[in-house]
Order: sequence, then structure tokens, then C-alpha cells
Amino acid sequence: MKEVLAYPANYWQTMYEIWLIISVVIYLVVFLPAAYFLVKYRYRKGINEKAQHVEESKALEVLWTIIPTIVVIYLATQSFAFYRVQRNAPEGALEIKVTAFMWGWEFEYPNGKKVFSFFNSVVDPEKNVYLTTDKVNDMFKAYIPEGRPIKVLCTSRDVIHSFYVHPAKVTEDCVPGRITHLWFQINKPGDYWVFCREYCGTQHSKMAAVLKVVPKEEFENWLQQGVQANQENSKHNL
Amino acid sequence: MAAVSYKPYFSAGLKEWIFTTDHKKIGIMYGVTSLIFFLIAGLSALAIRLELYQPGLQHMSEDTYNQALTVHGVVMQFWWAVGIWSSFGNYLLPLMIGARDVAFPRLNALSYWFFFAASVLALLTLLPGNHIKMMWTGYPPFSLNDNAGPTAFYALIVHMLGASSLASAINLVVTNLTMRAPGITLKKMNLFLHSFLAMNVIQILGVPALAGAVTMLLMDKYFQTAFFDPTRGGDPLLYQNLFWFYSHPVVYVMILPAFGLISEMIAVFSRREIFGKTSMIIAIWGIALLGFMVWIHHMFTSGVPDWIRILFSYTTVLIGVPTGIKIFNWVFTLYKGSVRFKTPMLYTLSAIFMFLIGGLTGIPLGLPAFDIAVHDSHFVVAHFHYVLGMSLTLAAFGGFHYWYPKYTGRMYSELWAKIGLLLIMIGSNLFYFLQFIVGLEGMPRRYADYPPIDSWIWLHELQTIGSMILGFGIIVAVLNLLLSTKLGKKAEDNPWSSPSLEWLVPSPPPPHNFDKIPHMPEDWDPYNYEWLEKQHRKH
Repeated sequence: MKEVLAYPANYWQTMYEIWLIISVVIYLVVFLPAAYFLVKYRYRKGINEKAQHVEESKALEVLWTIIPTIVVIYLATQSFAFYRVQRNAPEGALEIKVTAFMWGWEFEYPNGKKVFSFFNSVVDPEKNVYLTTDKVNDMFKAYIPEGRPIKVLCTSRDVIHSFYVHPAKVTEDCVPGRITHLWFQINKPGDYWVFCREYCGTQHSKMAAVLKVVPKEEFENWLQQGVQANQENSKHNL
Repeated sequence: MAAVSYKPYFSAGLKEWIFTTDHKKIGIMYGVTSLIFFLIAGLSALAIRLELYQPGLQHMSEDTYNQALTVHGVVMQFWWAVGIWSSFGNYLLPLMIGARDVAFPRLNALSYWFFFAASVLALLTLLPGNHIKMMWTGYPPFSLNDNAGPTAFYALIVHMLGASSLASAINLVVTNLTMRAPGITLKKMNLFLHSFLAMNVIQILGVPALAGAVTMLLMDKYFQTAFFDPTRGGDPLLYQNLFWFYSHPVVYVMILPAFGLISEMIAVFSRREIFGKTSMIIAIWGIALLGFMVWIHHMFTSGVPDWIRILFSYTTVLIGVPTGIKIFNWVFTLYKGSVRFKTPMLYTLSAIFMFLIGGLTGIPLGLPAFDIAVHDSHFVVAHFHYVLGMSLTLAAFGGFHYWYPKYTGRMYSELWAKIGLLLIMIGSNLFYFLQFIVGLEGMPRRYADYPPIDSWIWLHELQTIGSMILGFGIIVAVLNLLLSTKLGKKAEDNPWSSPSLEWLVPSPPPPHNFDKIPHMPEDWDPYNYEWLEKQHRKH
């Protein structure tokens, strides 16, 4: 199972392939007869000047009502089966609270550590163009342990946003006054995009964040560091 | 036919146009307004595509982009996709049923002038300080935020259009049900009339929900109510429910008339009655009914409970069944026909195959397991540009060409019409097919800028090139239609030899349509092409 980059994207991939095969078949079932009829029954002087009378066919009508019904009900049921897995985080998932705002993200880890990512943390400040994920400063990246399911609890501070994890192919809106959830797991270290998928104003298109997926030990170290620094800071403040 | 010759209905002074209650003139006025706004929205689309050609912001600021996208969405939906059918409906419906005008001609004029008032309001939003940047959906709490621009404009535009649509819908339903000439029974109504009937019923049932939603929005923003403001106990999802309760059925308001036009044209140019006409009528009403039961698929990722998503995924994919029936019946209408590849027929066939792709890519959007990855991505955008953007536009342009001799008494240039269509098909497929792919790769919708991911860049570049070809094709088609009003050859009264009633009066029709209300004989049927030949032999 290691070859899968991210969960639950594998379920999406299977659903996509099932749909694609069925769609191509349906397309051909419509297109090929249509193309044949268009050529065969084209108007030709002296040969095919008049249409022939065709009796209505109850059998055909029933056929193309029943078969599509079965196909779409199968698709919806298959989707139902996958969706249960895609929606419900496995046991032992790491819970991260995400709060969206105009325009950025706040990630809060179980031990209280927070990471902020703003719309201008992912852009080159001089040119106002997107950076590639590796050029974004690590302090704005949300660290994620490799190969561990993450459950995101999402809300918003102002308007509706949507948390979309690019490699995991999951998205869920972050609605003010509600807590929504989604889960994902990324199996390969690296930097991955998170985008806002619900229109939220001027900087909507820059409302991205970077997930930095690291091995588990490195994640634990990183998680503790920040908290110690915070605690030291708060001592000074006292 | 007529011994007395009349001035054509369109030779009238400015005053007569403004104060007219003639359904034909009002239909033309709807059409011209609609087409002007179609071109404005098309230009804003080209500006959007130009900006997306490369990552980074080269030509405009984010706010300008967001405004252009809002204009594009609102105008294309309401002025083009809904508005253009007011033109076809007003002009053709009374002619098809053998009436001299609609049931309430003055109400009809009022409908148009409401539409005109909305158009003026829409143009006012282009002035600095009035820019609305909330997308056509206008979701709160964002639309309550100052970043969205003056929400009042949005709400009032929707109200104006809603009043216009409601009045027009009631008018056309009453006209259709009560003013049909003797001999045109419900069963002998053509599919154009059936789809316009269903479409107007959807309008009557749906518009109040949207009107309610935007009224609450207006009160929330300016009168301190809290329907949608979560900080004061409101619920933003309430708006989405009300909004989509109308705004999903409205896509059938847009596409059912297109289906009606497709049915008319494919029958005439195959010289055959529509295959399975009864099942076509059942399918139209099936779509209209199911259309009200699927709106949650716009909210599959909005935080509504999971079981509702599953329930609505079943109702959503079931809409594919009546739609599929329509497509199969069209294909079998070609069977044993005598198919003529005139411009309107080519538009019709293009519309059917664009709809097929759009329909097949719509099914997975009803499956939450698929939608979870592409909700609010460019995949969705490509889907509705295939069905509404292209299929609808192709059907409408097919209709322009098909009824062109009826409207103007002249013929368009067949060659330029075909060149225009070829460019439209090449451009749109290059554009929208690649939009599916960039959507599958995750490109979120409504993004002025995007990160420099290699595959996204070349996909966007080709899409922009496609959109320019598409725009050029539309210009060729529109110019051909405009110039042919002067340069076109005189057309015969019934160039397509159709027995449908609108073709049995002279082209262009006299101001009062019918010298006397026709009595349609027993053996007449709008798709009975042999009846027409028999009539000719008699003369």
C-alpha cells in the first residue's frame, strides 16, 4: 500500500476510473449509431429524398430507460460505499484544528502549537507572484507526520472558505459558526499545497498554505520545539 | 396567400417600438438586449482568459478580475441563458399556437421593461464605486462584507429580473394553455411548446425562493437583521439552500428551451417526426420535477449532514435518465430520415454532442465520492460550460439561423455561417476539454492567479488560445447574422418546408400574424411533413 501517495485519494481515483470507462462506453453507444445514421440516411437526390416511416418501438424506449437507471443507481451506490471511507477518519488520527480567515489559515496542533499561513506567505513580496512550495518559508508551513491519518476540524473566523488538500483530493468548506471535518494521510515526505476553494474576496486566489510532510520523529521534534519557545516567551512576558 | 400586402412588423418608428405591445417586437427587443449583454459577458470572459494565460497578475488586479468574473457569471446566466429564451418564447409561441398575441400584451411589455431596468442597473455596476465582486452566487457572510461591493445592486437586479421572469412566465403559460387555435391539441403541440411550458412552470415555482433569499440578504446588510450572520445567530447555509432551490432548477429553465429548439430543428432537417414524442414529453416533465429535488449537490462540501449528501446523490444521478431518453430519441430521429446538413442542423448536432459530453461529466459531480475532489474546481466550470455555455449557445444560434428567414424575410450566408460554427467548435472544445483536465488536477475555481505548477501552465495557455478562437467564431457568426439583414437574399415564406404553424404565415409575419385564426385539420401535425406536400399538390 506504500505506493499510494495520499489517502483517501485512492478511492477517488477508483471512482474516477469506473466513471471514465462507463462514460466512454455511453459516449460510443450514442456517437457511433448517430454517425452511422448521419452518413447512411443523408439526403441524396433520387436515392434518399424522403424519410421512411418508422414505427415507434416500445422495446427500445424501455431499454434506454431501464439500463441508464441501473447504471446511475450502481454509480451512486458505489460512491456511497467509497464516501463512507473518504468522510470518516480512521481511529487514532491526529486532530488538527484549522481556522480560516480573510486571507489565511491558522493550524492548531493537539499540544497547543499554532502555525499561521497568510496569503502573502506564499508569494514573492516584490513581484506578487506565487512561490513554488519549496521556496515558502518553513515557519509558515504546517508540519504533517508522514503516513499518519490527520483529521482536520475546520471553522472560519469571518466568511465561508474551503479547505482543499491537493494531493489527498478532499475538500470541505470552513463555515463560520460550524465545525466541519475531513481527513487525509500523506505517505511521502515533501511539500504539498492546500488551497481555499470557496470564493472569499480579493486574495482568494492567494489563500493557499503549504503542508510539509516529514518523518514521524522529525514531526515530534518540531511539535515540541515550538511549544517550548512559546512557554519561554510567555515566561519573559510574565 | 394574402391578397392584401402589409408592411412587415419591424418597419416601425422609434416611438412605436418603445410603446409596442406586439409580441414580435418585444421578442426582438429581448433578443437584441440579450445578445448585447452576451457580447459584454463574452468580452469579460476573454479578459479573464487573458489573465489566466500565465501565472501571476499581468493585466489586471485581483479586484478587477473578481469583478469581471462576477459580471461574466451574472450576465451570462440571467441575460443570455435565461433572457434569450424570452426572445424565442415571445416571438414564436403565439405564432406556433395560432394566436394574434400573448394573453396579456401589456404585461408582456412590462416584463420587457423590467428586464431593461435590470439591464440599466447592471450597467451602473460598471461605474467606479459600484463594482460588485461577490460572484453570481452572492454567498453570505461574504456578500455582507464590504469586500463584496454594494450588495443592494445585486439584490435589486435579481428582483427586477425576477419580476420580469414571473410576469413573462405566467403570461406564456396562460397563452399556451388558453389561446391555442382549434385543432392544436395538447398532443399536437410541438416539443418547443412543451419545453417552454415546463420551463415557465419552473420559473413560477422557483423565482420566489431566490427573491426571498436576496431580500433577506438585503435586510441583513442594510437593516440589521441576522438571517445569515453567524455572529448574531444566523446561518449562512440557509441562504445556500434558498439560493440553490431556485438556482438549480434554473439550469433547466435554461436548457429545456434549448432541448425544444433542438427537437424542432432535428425533426425538420431529418424530414421525420420526432422518435418517441410521448416519451420526450414525459422526459421534459420528469426533468422539471426532478430538477427541484437535487439542489444539495451544490452543497456537497458545505457542511450539511452526510446522509443528506447521499440522498441527494441518488436524486441527482437519476436526472441522467430522462436526459438520456431525450438524447437517444434525437439519435433515432435520424434513423431512416433524409438528413439535410443545413447550418441550423449542424448547430443542432453540435449542441447534442456538446450536451452529451457535458451530461456525462455532470454525472460524477452528483457522486460525493468524486465531487469531494473537484467541488469548486475548474472541472465543474468546464462541465457547465459544455452544457450551458456551449450546448445552450449552439442551440440558440441554431435557432437564430433556423428562424432567421422568419424574423427578417432574408437568408443568411450559408458559407460564413458554417465557417463561424467550425471556429466555435474548434475553439470551445480546445478550451473546455482542457479545462476538465486542469480541474481534475485540482485548479480551484474563481482564482485570479495560480501557482506555477508545470501542467497547469500549459493547460491554461492552450485554453486561452481556444477561448480566442471561440470568441472569433462567435464574432463571425454574429456579423453574418447582422450583415445578412441587408445583404442576404430574399427568403421564401417556408424555406425549410415545415408544417409547424409559424411557417404557414408569410415571412416576415404580418403585424397581426393571422388574417383569421386558423383551424388545423385532423391530419395536420407539426411534424407531419407529408401533410405539407399534400397541401402543395392540392394548390
